[in-house]
This record gives sequence, structure tokens and C-alpha cells, in this order.
Amino acid sequence: MRIFDPHIHMTSRTTDDYAAMAAAGVLALVEPAFWLGQPRTNPGSFTDYFDALLGWEPFRASQFGIRHHCTIALNPKEANDPRCREVLPLLPRYLAKDRVVAVGEIGYDSMTPDEDEVFAAQLEMAVDADLPALVHTPHRDKLVGTRRSIDVVKESGIEPGRVVLDHLNELTVAEVAASGCWMGFSIYPDTKMSPDRMVAILREHGLERMLVNSAADWGKSDPLLTLRTGEAMLAAGFTSDDVDRVLWRNPVEFYGQSKRLDLDGISDGATYAGNSILRGGS
Amino acid sequence: MSIRWGYGTNGFANHRLDDALAIIAELGYQGVALTLDHGHLDPYAPDLRAQVDRTAHRLAELGLTVVIETGARYLLDPRRKHSPTFLHDDPAPRLDFLKRAADIAADLGAQAMSCWSGVRPAHVPEAAAWDRLADGVAQVLEHARQRQVVVGFEPEPGMLVDTLATWRELRDRVGDGLGLTLDIGHCRANEPADVPECVRQAGPHLVNVQIDDMVRGVHEHLEFGEGEIDFPPVLRALADTGYDGLVAVELARHSHAAPEVAARSLTFLRAAQWLGDALARVRRDPAALAVLLPAARRHVGADGAEGARIRLLQATLLSPEQATDLYRYGDNDEKRAVLRAWPSAELLRDALRSNDTRLVAAALGQGAELLSDAEWRQAVLKSVFMGLPLAQVHDLDRRADAELGRMLDGLRREREAAGRTMPADAVRLLERLL
Repeated sequence: MRIFDPHIHMTSRTTDDYAAMAAAGVLALVEPAFWLGQPRTNPGSFTDYFDALLGWEPFRASQFGIRHHCTIALNPKEANDPRCREVLPLLPRYLAKDRVVAVGEIGYDSMTPDEDEVFAAQLEMAVDADLPALVHTPHRDKLVGTRRSIDVVKESGIEPGRVVLDHLNELTVAEVAASGCWMGFSIYPDTKMSPDRMVAILREHGLERMLVNSAADWGKSDPLLTLRTGEAMLAAGFTSDDVDRVLWRNPVEFYGQSKRLDLDGISDGATYAGNSILRGGS
Repeated sequence: MSIRWGYGTNGFANHRLDDALAIIAELGYQGVALTLDHGHLDPYAPDLRAQVDRTAHRLAELGLTVVIETGARYLLDPRRKHSPTFLHDDPAPRLDFLKRAADIAADLGAQAMSCWSGVRPAHVPEAAAWDRLADGVAQVLEHARQRQVVVGFEPEPGMLVDTLATWRELRDRVGDGLGLTLDIGHCRANEPADVPECVRQAGPHLVNVQIDDMVRGVHEHLEFGEGEIDFPPVLRALADTGYDGLVAVELARHSHAAPEVAARSLTFLRAAQWLGDALARVRRDPAALAVLLPAARRHVGADGAEGARIRLLQATLLSPEQATDLYRYGDNDEKRAVLRAWPSAELLRDALRSNDTRLVAAALGQGAELLSDAEWRQAVLKSVFMGLPLAQVHDLDRRADAELGRMLDGLRREREAAGRTMPADAVRLLERLL
């Protein structure tokens, strides 16, 4: 099984995680810029973080044979702090970097006017930089937040096929499916979404535009839940080609719209001297 | 305005025309310069009509536009190259051929057809040669006009019409109906003006453009990068003329490796075009460097990225604050380019604090003149410690002094005590200094 985790915060993970992910078949990932648990208080705190997402973290990942990409944005939660909003003018120069494959995470946290403004401004930056956008849907009042996110996407003029709405569940998936946006699901140990619930959603809504991620970060989370979801799909009767589509081809298609994915030499079951780094079946 | 790239089928002389068209389209070219020749749409073939129909269909299927080229070497006379021309005693076969070419151009919906004068035969006086040329060209123009075909006349080094100036003389004689086919390489070979200036002068008359590299005074079509032409400003000048037809690669002597040469050529041209546009943008708006420097590698390729970045940085006069800003937000590849293009003591010190060998090496380039002797010695010592070759250190022989020798000797003693060795180049240096 080859896995592309389209949403995982490796900055907060250990090298043990990298080793376990590589052994599980994770060959590539996208690390969205988000908040760090501890609030930031100035734009320099963001730019040092962005530099790490573009410098140190891809190097760490490469030591385990994993291709690291990132998304760059001012996250919705910190969009409410005027000290943090000062980072906005610095974003275009970061969006031009080679391994940046989307603007994100953007969207809503508490649906404030400041969040409205920052969300719209960053969708515009995505259009200007010719990049897709990764939209985080809020933890609270998720259904309303998701609907409003779809409206903001429509108003922005960005093509829906270049937007993923993430952290969806049974209550929000149908409206996002109808919007033409991609659907992201974060599989968590206890909250958000489980592998079995995910399988039921794939049964009902099909595989098109579906992205499955671990969203593992500094909180309680598990970077192998992508693999577990693949296993649950197989156990439920999906084919290994279906699993490959959800866990590899779909994220490659979505983020490939940036034209900046670095998958040379690994995307087609590459081998080195006859050996593959893939593990565990197909 | 985006340039539309094409490739000349005379560079695919060892391929069937159908195969050549398929490969040219596959590689991403948008058109072909089709040289009518014995193997490629022979105008004297008995089934020409059917061949033209088939080719028109194939071009449409592949989404290729076309210009017709008439420079086949032995199509009219198997013994004498390019013979007869407008200038020979009996130019009739040439005129007949060019009229047939105009008919084919019309049937294929070609952007233009192209022709040239020929070399003046020794026995024909210059004035007579010009008369023959003007008369023949007028006949071809009249035929082409009836078929609504645009004619581009190409100056060729060594021929009667060999430069833009002699092309103008011909146009003065035959009238405004004469368009211009410009070969970019020829401009380098034999035009008095530089290549971008030639393109600007040619602009209003362009109906067809060929492109290749060349060196001064030598009419030999070279692969890109093997000649002397600096393409980014040439392509920018070409786009600025408003010419929106094909710009077709003309490498007629590279058929033996056609698919590879055609692939390399397009990669080169796209990179040069991006850089030309980016340089123009930086001159208008230096702030654009913030997004152009990071984008350089994916547009010009890894090998050319640093050179492109340095060029972009030097396209405008940067203040120390602007350079510092680009350095601060640059990744280490961008930082290297800033260190080389606009070095300052402050930035060099920052680079030397890092443990990135690429930054340390860049800081020991020419910009290191800005460092005090004490800082410079520490920097050289650090580079030896990191295993960098001393050959990269600018002005090492002149600046290295006894104090540096003492420091390197100290490092050697420590290494020996630990059972390790010094790099040979450092040993040679310290032995010279002590």
C-alpha cells in the first residue's frame, strides 16, 4: 500500500513517527501551516515556522525516504490577533517557494469578521499564486461553518476543484460533495472520524474527490490512521486499487494542481537496485 | 504575449513526416516549419494532392500550425546544392517550385511560406543579380497573393540578401507585400546590431521566425547554449514586437539526434523565455524579486537556477535593505544568490554563522573582500573544518598570511591528536605559509 498523507503536522512529531510512517508505506505528505498550541505573538514567529516547514522538516522527512511538501497561510484561529495578521503581506513570497503546494490552512475558527476578511484575502492569494487552497472547517458549529466556507469559496472565484474542505464528517460531507470542492477527512483516535466511519462514508459517497489524512499534530493523534483506514477499506470489500486511489492517486491529483509536487522516482512503485521501500502488500 | 514554439522538419530529415509531426507535437511544440523536400511532402510527387490532404488532417489532429520552408538542398538539382536560385541564368525551376510551395501553403492554411535569394553566381554582375531577384520575387509574390499566402523572405549569410539592410533594399524594389523571415542565429552571425536590437528593427515586418544559436562570423546553426547568443532579452524583445506567429527551431544538421535535440531545445527556450520576462518585470518592479527568486528553479531547472537568480538580482540596483530582506526570507539557495550578487559584510557574517556548506562557500567568494582579515581567516578555517575545497576561496593566494597558517597548523595538530587527517589542499597551504 502506498500512502500520501495530505495533512499531517510533522513539526510536532518525532523521528520514530517518521520511521513508522515509512514502514507503513507513507511515501509523501503535505504539512499544512497551522497554529502550534501555544499562541504566536508576532509575524517573525510565523516566518521562522514557515522557514522550518520549507527547510529543516523536508530534510528530516528525506532521511526516511519521505517527500515533504507544505501549505502556507495565516490560520483561522490566529487570524483574530492583529499582531499575527501582520504576517499577511509576507505570505506571497512564501507562496512562491518550490515545495509549497497550496494556501492553507485557511477558513473559520469562530466565524468572526476578522476571519471572514483573512479567509477571503488568502483565497485571493491562492488565485494569484496559481495554487489550490486547503480549508479547515471549524470544530464548533461545524455545519454552519462549512456552509459559510462553501459560500466564501464561491464568492472568491477560485475553481471549486482547486479547494479542499477538511475535517468533514457525516453531517457536512453531502454539501461539500455538491459544491464541487474536494472532501478531506481527518482520522483521529477518538474524535473527528474513525476508520470504520470513514469506510461507511466512502461507501455512501464514492471515492471521487475524497482525501483521507491523519492530521496528526501535537495533540493526541496517530500518523498511521491512514494505513488503518486503508486496511478497513480492504476488510470491507474495497479493492486494493480503490485504496490506492484514496490514499495515493487522489491526493496526488489534488495537490498536483500546484505543479510543484516532488514525486520523481517514487510515484510509480519505484525500486532501487530491485528493492522497493513499499511495505505490506500491493 | 506568449511565444508559440515550433520545430523545423528539416531537423527531422531521418524521420517520416508523420512520425516527425507526432514527436514534435508530443514534446509540446505548437507548430512546425515544414521544409518541402524529397522525403517530406515532395511537391513533385504524383500523389501530392492526397499527401497534402493527409498532412492537413494530421496537423489539425495534432493541433500544430505550420509555415512552409523552401530551403531543401537537392530537391531541384541533385548535383548542385540549392540550385537553381532566383539568380541563375534559368531560374524557372526555382520559380515553379516556389509557386508550388505557395499552393501547398494555401492548401495547408500555413501562416506563411519562406524563401531566400541564393548566392550570386560568379559570372552574374551584382546589378543583374538584383534585377533577376526582384523580377523573380515579384512573380512569386503575385502568385502567392492570388492564393492569399503570406511570403517571408529570409536574409541568409553568404547570399545576395544576407542582412536586414539588404532585405530592405529588396522590399524597396518589390513593394510592401514582402514579409520578413528572421533567423535569430543569423543576427548574431552577420548583423551589425546586437540581436535584441535586430529583433526590434525586424518587428514590424515579421511573418516568420526561426531560432538557433550561432557565433559571430560563422554561419553554422548550433544547439542552444553552444553559441554566443544571450536568449532571455532576445525572447523578451521578440514578445514585445507583438509578433504572434511561430518561432521555429532551425537545426537542420541535427537530424541524427532529432528527438533529443528537440526536447532539449524546448526546455532551453522555455527557461530563457521565463528569465527574459522575469528580468523585464524586475526592471519595472524590483519588489517582484520576492516571488521570482523562489520560483527560479522550477522555471529554469536546477542547473541554471543560481545563475538566473544572480542575474535577476543584478537586473536592478538594490538597496542594502532590499538585499537584506531578500536574504532574510530566502531559502539557502536564494541566500547564496544574494551573497554572490549583492554581498554585504552583515550578510556574509550571517552566512558564516551557519553550518550550511553552500552558504559558507558563497560567503568566501569575491564578496569576502568586505570581511576583516580576522573574520576572513576564521571563515577559511571553518571551511577547511567543514571539508570545503580551498579552490573555491576567492583570492586565497594573495590574502593567506602567516596567522592563517598558524591557525591551520593548530587544526592539523588537533586532528592528528585525534587520529584524523587534514585535507591535502589545506596541508599544502599551511606548509607554504609557515
